Amino acid sequence: MSGRLTRWLARDINAPVFVLALVLALWTVSSGDPYGLRLMTLAGIYALATIGYQFVFGHAGALSLAQGCFFGIGAYVAGMLALNPGVGVETTLPAATLAATVLAALVALPVLRLHSHYFALATLGIGQAVLLLAVNWVSVTGGANGIAGVPSASLLGIPLGRGWPMLLLVWTLVAAAALAARRLTGGWAGPALTLMREQPQAAEAAGIDIGRLRLGGFLLSAGFAGLAGALQLHTIRVVSPEVLEFPVMVSVLTIAVVGGRTSVAGAILGAVLLVHLPEWFRPLQEYYLLAYGVALMLCVAIAPSGLAGAALSLRRRLWTEPSPPLPAPMPVPVAAAPACLEVHGLTRHFGGVAAVDGIDLVVTPGEALGIVGANGSGKSTLLNLIAGAERPDAGSIAWGGRRVHRLSPDRIARAGIARTFQAIKLADGLSALDNVAAGDWRGRDLTRARGAATALLARLGIADIAWQPCGELPPGIRRHVEIARALIARPSLLLLDEPAAGLGAAERETLGSLLMDLHGDGMTLIVVEHDLDFLRRVAGRLVCLSGGRIVADGTPDTVVRHPAVVASWLGSPGAAGGADG
Amino acid sequence: MELLQLAINGIALGAAYALVALGFVLTLKATGAVNFAQGDLVTAGGFLAVALAGLLPVPGILLLPIVVLAMAGIGLAVATLSWWPLRDRPPATMFISTIALGIVIQNGLNGVFGAEPRAAPPLFTGGHVEVFGAVVARQSLAILAVAAILIAGVHLLLGRTQLGRMLRATAQDRAVASALGIRTGAMVMLTFALAAALSGAAGLLLANRYFIAPTDGGGFIVKAYIAVVIGGWGRVGGALAGAMLVALFETIVAAWFDQAVATGLLYAALLAILAVRPRGLFGEATGRRA
Repeated sequence: MSGRLTRWLARDINAPVFVLALVLALWTVSSGDPYGLRLMTLAGIYALATIGYQFVFGHAGALSLAQGCFFGIGAYVAGMLALNPGVGVETTLPAATLAATVLAALVALPVLRLHSHYFALATLGIGQAVLLLAVNWVSVTGGANGIAGVPSASLLGIPLGRGWPMLLLVWTLVAAAALAARRLTGGWAGPALTLMREQPQAAEAAGIDIGRLRLGGFLLSAGFAGLAGALQLHTIRVVSPEVLEFPVMVSVLTIAVVGGRTSVAGAILGAVLLVHLPEWFRPLQEYYLLAYGVALMLCVAIAPSGLAGAALSLRRRLWTEPSPPLPAPMPVPVAAAPACLEVHGLTRHFGGVAAVDGIDLVVTPGEALGIVGANGSGKSTLLNLIAGAERPDAGSIAWGGRRVHRLSPDRIARAGIARTFQAIKLADGLSALDNVAAGDWRGRDLTRARGAATALLARLGIADIAWQPCGELPPGIRRHVEIARALIARPSLLLLDEPAAGLGAAERETLGSLLMDLHGDGMTLIVVEHDLDFLRRVAGRLVCLSGGRIVADGTPDTVVRHPAVVASWLGSPGAAGGADG
Repeated sequence: MELLQLAINGIALGAAYALVALGFVLTLKATGAVNFAQGDLVTAGGFLAVALAGLLPVPGILLLPIVVLAMAGIGLAVATLSWWPLRDRPPATMFISTIALGIVIQNGLNGVFGAEPRAAPPLFTGGHVEVFGAVVARQSLAILAVAAILIAGVHLLLGRTQLGRMLRATAQDRAVASALGIRTGAMVMLTFALAAALSGAAGLLLANRYFIAPTDGGGFIVKAYIAVVIGGWGRVGGALAGAMLVALFETIVAAWFDQAVATGLLYAALLAILAVRPRGLFGEATGRRA
């Protein structure tokens, strides 16, 4: 046990966090005056709301401005219930949590598909609407005066006094929330969430259902906020529309940014700091919000990962931990479910231009198909349509007899079609190993996923860089990492968009051998590429696109001699599509 | 005749909202990010007019140039604090930073002027005139005229001048504009100045009939956002039309029920629009942005 504790303390910033927590606890016990206890209780309440907020803001990467609204809903629901005699926290807390979660579920449909600032402003609209309701629905909410005279809280009939009992209840829940957050965002979910934040398209292509994760984050954040709001009601025993106004939201946002967007310790530290700030700077009086604003602005500019992030990078700068040993490799089998890809009349317009114009194509299981064509001939669009990143305007795509052209990219990925991107999409902050492990949507177990990732990186000859952050890797290696991520999903069809671009001769050689190995294992390949020599080596069949149509189809040797191909390649007079050479 | 009166009031309010929405869209296009403090710049402009009126007892129209110039300067300060240091970061970063700035403005105003709503002087004189039998506040007509002149001015600036072409090029594609030798950093700063000047003018226009309080900024930014949702993303004309619809809706529903119902229904309408048409009511396909 003590060995485990020592190891835990040695990791990251656990030791200073542990010491700080002890100091805070001792400080609270020793001061012990009612006002001090109340402040620590409120700090716990804000920590709880922020731990919840981190699910949507930190982990899912969506700037929600509805957290204050969910907090207020929790306070109101708890207040209305607690006015009835005999109703204890065993009822009010779950009811408040549920009410906030239900509201979040109701508004999720319109707002969750929005991105970045559009999502933020829509969630702000929700908050404003609920505030209006609270002020004007006087018979239920008490209007501008709110609900006062809420009796002292009780748990299963046992009265909970102010001071210690409330403080212990709140901080017990904070501890439970911290453990829940660890369970929900630790392990495989960690790299998967990071990939989703930094490269949403890559995450979808790796089989990760972004919509579900975002919804989950949003609902969890609302539930935690509702719970925190209810606890605040029981602590201060009044609720008024103030609880729904922007300052609550700003406080939670400031705590999350100042403390750290994904760190539970950061949320707690931030909450304790920000709740005490007005007390420590009494001359600020009403201007404490102004101080929050300045702190928030400075923090965003100077320490974007917050106090927790700053401490972590300081720790890493002071003494570098040796890279952990590579996990034991776990070989990744090639999926043995060969299926036929049938494309019929596929069409996709951008504005008035048909990027893909009525393509018919059948790729049989185990085939290695190369696609050539000038820039703008529709190669990448065709790949994007097959992978679900674009929806066709007309035509169909069937995969193993099942129509897939209306499916989302993550569902297509889970059906066994993996892809790489023309512009490499990796999460730069994650190690190569975790970038690959994030694609293991089947196992969802970090140890196993890392084992499989190790085996794949070794197969590609780059196991030595496994622990390096992807942002530091050269382009050639990054391509290989992306291919490894595609392979960890055990696809039966692999789509590669210009895999040899930017690679040196030796790297092309290795990549070619790898693709031939995969082909030998029975995997179907579709390779978009400009390098004809490379394609001649790996592809058994070539298709040439021009102006969104197939102009030649056959063995590599016949296709490269086809007049239309020569024309589109060399740009002879009257050639369609005008080649770039 | 009551309906005509409401319509004129609504259009006047819409003209002021249109100034805010215009600033919102211009900044959005130039930086790819939202200046959340835009709403607070409206209140700042309103309170600046209130303060100036205390020093110079002249009609609002004479204060307007001072407010516009001062707000342009404040816009440059906003850009320096909240855009320039964060220009290479994800758009949400500037959003958060401008939320922070908005809080500073809000609480600064609250500290100096107090929380009570205040009124700025009318543009010309108070009172009413009769238009086709409807009794209309002179201020409403003045708001309409001034906002129309300002919008026309921005239109000419963007459409007819070399500076405008450079501003538009920067908004369209910063990398290409930069390669053409345009100082894109300066252009974005100028866009902030222009947006702040428009917001400040809106503040002066609104602060007479509708009063202004330090915490009003959030409402303005949400209304600008709704206008843009209605009008379709990134379309200047759409945003102006959206602002008109928002204001007409608010004015007419408020006359039927009350202000709170009007605003509540407006937000409900926003969510309904987003649920059915996430790309905006009249929006073209702009993909993931919505």
